[in-house]
Order: sequence, then structure tokens, then C-alpha cells
Amino acid sequence: MVGKTEVNIYIGTTSIYTCLGNKFETLAAMNRGRGGLSFNKQFSMFTGSLEVEMMETYTRFESLMIDQLIEVLSRTNIKLSDPSVQLIISTTKGNVELLEEDVDHPSERTFLYTSAELVAARFSASNPPIVISNACISGVSSFVVARELLLSGRFKHAVVVGCDVLSGFITSGFASFKSVSEKPCRPYDAQRDGLSLGEACGAVVLTTDISRAVSPYIRLAGGAITNDANHISAPSRTGDGLFYAIRSAMAEAGLSADDIGFVNSHGTATRYNDEMESKALALSGLNTKPLNSLKGYIGHTLGASGVVETVLAIEQLRQGYIVGTYGFKESDLPHPIAISSGKQKITKACCVKTASGFGGCNAAIVLEGSDSAKLTAENHNILPQKVNVVAKYTLPQSDMAFADYIRAEFKQLGESNLKFYKMSDMSKALYIAVERLLAIEGFSEIEPTRRAIILANRSASIDSDIAHQQIVSQRLPEGPSPAVFVYTLANVSAGEMCIRHKIQGDNTFFIENRDSGLAEDYARLLIARDRADAVICGWCEYLKGKWNVDLKLLKKIFD
Amino acid sequence: MEQLIGELKEHLIEELNLEEITPEDIDSEAPLFRDGLGLDSIDALEIILILEKYYGIKLSNSAEAKPIFYSVKTLAEYIMKNRK
Repeated sequence: MVGKTEVNIYIGTTSIYTCLGNKFETLAAMNRGRGGLSFNKQFSMFTGSLEVEMMETYTRFESLMIDQLIEVLSRTNIKLSDPSVQLIISTTKGNVELLEEDVDHPSERTFLYTSAELVAARFSASNPPIVISNACISGVSSFVVARELLLSGRFKHAVVVGCDVLSGFITSGFASFKSVSEKPCRPYDAQRDGLSLGEACGAVVLTTDISRAVSPYIRLAGGAITNDANHISAPSRTGDGLFYAIRSAMAEAGLSADDIGFVNSHGTATRYNDEMESKALALSGLNTKPLNSLKGYIGHTLGASGVVETVLAIEQLRQGYIVGTYGFKESDLPHPIAISSGKQKITKACCVKTASGFGGCNAAIVLEGSDSAKLTAENHNILPQKVNVVAKYTLPQSDMAFADYIRAEFKQLGESNLKFYKMSDMSKALYIAVERLLAIEGFSEIEPTRRAIILANRSASIDSDIAHQQIVSQRLPEGPSPAVFVYTLANVSAGEMCIRHKIQGDNTFFIENRDSGLAEDYARLLIARDRADAVICGWCEYLKGKWNVDLKLLKKIFD
Repeated sequence: MEQLIGELKEHLIEELNLEEITPEDIDSEAPLFRDGLGLDSIDALEIILILEKYYGIKLSNSAEAKPIFYSVKTLAEYIMKNRK
């Protein structure tokens, strides 16, 4: 890492597949104001579902990713076999539908990384793939992580692919949260009553080499991830977490609200998400900027949404006008925002794209078009910050059963926190380990938005996935438990720590085969680029009564 | 009514993972949410499941449930009126 880097990150080739078709079909339908959601008898709800031509030996999820990767890679010279190219995969649940077949013995393919490696191998990828599973912000997170890796100079190009497919596992879980609309969803509308789920896949090539970029040029000019540190499933009541993400992404881009042409928000159409966003946009000074949500056209496509919607934001920047918010007629939001109900011309070629998700996480990126004020080389004129490992803690192994062991550990802390017993086992293991780590050295002197938590594991949340699938398979009349389902996202355990220790900065969860040091590496990058002052990082694994939690606390060395 | 209140407390402890809490610890008339038991929106959804599972009562969302979910007593009164 040098003190001054002059790197620009440009958008290369892009591709998506949604319930409205490929990129141009989807954009054309949106431009004509036509939505793609339809009633799905299998799941008894409106969804944006795909017809997938399966590839031999690959699952539906993997086939979709391979298809989209072929699409983007066939139109560029950039190859995954080149060591300067990194593949980044964004997904929440991958092949989780395979759990239905034998819930007690999850097959190797239900592990996200196994799937990722198969896809990477299909393209003879030189580097191991990076898998990000950060709930509904996964796609936007992937661009933030890609940006950090490219700015660090480790890679010249990155290929981001985001994908999720629907299954009873996912649809029944969202139904248990009473967050699914009875009709096609209506983002920001006074009549909105929940989200509609969708499945999709998208891929984007990012490059630091302008000769590989696609004209008209668009830069990935900034990005940030934050946490509300408030609740693992309920959106913040203040909107400050999302506001911090937008503020930080715009500061990275060196842009102010005046430079922004439009906002493509998350806009899920749940009562509280949309309300929260209106507050965050008001705090950001973006409430008068034209805004749209694309969920009414294609549904909430989970780990794909951030990638697919970013591709569509890029195309809207290029065509110079934005599409309307399908399903929106009239707002009842506490803070008025300029929701676009139909096609609308934009005057500035910059877009802020946001997402928020379970675990209290938020993400924002800034896309800057070529006719905006500055498209000169990005100048990171900051002194590289130095990093100290101030504490290390590994949760000891025990002969006791996990439940007894962790209860004894919790008792030893001598506190009464009723929430502890409601957490997933992985969260409990992490909870104890983080308490012990911070007992060695705390971070009370660090401002909450400068604290971060970066974790990795192999199983994502398979232990909780099994518990949820067991309930789903029983087909109980009252349906599955939301208290179980919420933990079927690995990053929710990190979210618990954000609440407990007021961590409002970056919170990213990587999935790997084994601890390669990726979490610590990324944590070091965040501090080196002055994006955080203290980071809890490391490995956090729990599966079927076995645990491996190995953490470090890194701090910036203040001169 | 007293019997129903006792039974309801048992269900709440079991289904909401209120470990280390006994039925005697729960004041029937005290607010269930925020202070006291510190229940939150996920617990509210779980209480909807309890109502359906044990008493055959369907509530479509937690917003309409607010006054019903105020305390164990208000819950028990609602169950008395609506159970199947």
C-alpha cells in the first residue's frame, strides 16, 4: 500500500437475467411501465420467477451464475484465469433448496463455497473465489469489497456475480415475518403491505484499465457498509445507519448531494423499510432527488438484487432518464421524498444505489457517469494508516455439550441479558468470544461509526438452516418460526455483536473453505485506508455442536 | 382465567426462550414489551404463532395485535373471547 494511489474503477461488461428477461428486455419492459411479478401457486404468493435452462451437473443456482458469467466474459478480454482478476460471488442462500432432500445430512453442495468453487473452476479461475453473504445488502456489499480490493492494487479487474433462487425455505421464512404482500409489492405507496420475492442473476466486470471499460464510461466512485446497531430484523427508526452509509460513500466519491442525478433505493415495500429510507434520505440531503425502486417490476431478488439493480442503474444513467417506481401511486411517508412514478429525465449523471438488510446492515455505492464534473484519476491522497493487533481470543474447545458449555460461560460473565438465550448457537459462541476479546482490550474510546466487524466461516448459517428446514418440512399450520429463520443469515450473528457493542461501521461476512486470513486481510485494508479505527475480525464457525471461533481486535495506531 | 394465565406464561417461556424466567417472575398486568421481559418485534410474531398453535386464533399482523399483546392478562382475555 502506497500513500497515494491513482486508480479509477470503471464498469466493464454487464449482464442480468430477471423475470422480465435479459438486460435489454428488462430495461425495455421497465421503460414501458410493465412489471414481471405473477402469482406463484407453489409458494402461494406473487413472485418474480425465472425459467432456467439447467446445465448438466450444475444446479439451478449454479447454472444461472455460469450463464451470466459467460455473457459478460464473452464480450471482454478479461479472463478469470488471469491472476489479476478476482471473482466475487454474492448470494444469501445459494443451493439451500437441496436441504429439502435430506435435512439432517446437508450435502456438500449446500455449502456456498463448494458451489462457488465449481463455478470458478468452470472458468479456470486463477484465484479462489470470494463469497459474500451479507443478507439483502450482499450485492451492494460485493461492489464495496471489490472496490477496496481494486484500490489496494491486489487485482486489476474484478467480476462480481450476484444470484439467488427461490425455494420453500426462503418464501416460508419471509411469510413467517408477515412481510410478504398479498399483491405485487408497491414500494413507497400508502397502500403498501409488504415485499414480493423474486429470483435473478446479474454479473458485472469492474476494471481499473479504461481501455477495457465500456463506453459511455461509468465509474464506481464510492461505497460504504454500515450497521444500525439497533435490531436484527426491524429497520432503524431513525434511518441513521443508512444515512452513514450514504454519507461515507459520497465522501469517498468526493461528491455532494448537488452532484447526484438520482437514487436507486432498496425500496422493498415493507411499511418500516420504506419509512426508514425516507428518513435516511432526508438526513443525506437527497430527499429532493428523483428516486426509484425496481422491486415492483422484478421483486426483491435478495443476494442478486444489489447486482441486478446496479446494472439497471448503470443503464438508466446511460439512457439519461430513469424508469418509474412500479406500483407506486401516492406516498404517506413521514419525510417526503421525490419518488418517481413514471419515466423522468435526469440532469446529473450520478447515481446513489442503496440496500439494507437483516442483521441491521446498510450499504451504499456511488456510480458516476462520464459527463459529470470530474472523471480524472481518483486520487487517494491519504497517508496509509498503521495497524496494531491489540487482542486475540480463541474460544476454547470443551468436552461438554455446547448448550451446557455456553451457558456456563455466559454465567461466568455474571450479567443478565435475556436476549442471549434467544440467539442462534453460532451467535452465542461469537457473543462469548467477543466479550472475552474486548475484556483484553476494549474499544470504548473509538467512535461507533469507526468500529467494524469482519468475519468469515465455511458453513455460513447451515446450523440454523437445518433448524428452519426441519420446521418447514413439518408443514405446521401456524408456519415456521421467525425467531429461527432470522438466523439463517450468517451476518445476523455479526449484527448481534453490532447491537451489543455499538459497532456502526463496516460489517461484512465472507464464506470460505477454510480460514485463509481473508477477514483479517480485509480488516487491515479498512484501517490502512482510514475507513475504520478498530476492527473485530476472524473466523466464526458453528455447525452441529462443533465450534471454532478465533478472533482478533485490530486498531489503528494513532500518532 | 387464572389457569389460562398460568398456561400462557408457560407457553411464553417455552416458545420465546425466556430462560431463567419462571411463571412467578412474570407480572400478569405488566407490559410485555420493552421493559420487563424485553420482548421485541420477533417475539410479537412468535406470540402470533402461539395463539394459532395452542388456541386456533389467527392474527394477520402484529400491528392490530398491539392492544391485545399489552400484557399476559390482556392476551388471556382475548383468548377467552376468541379461542376455538
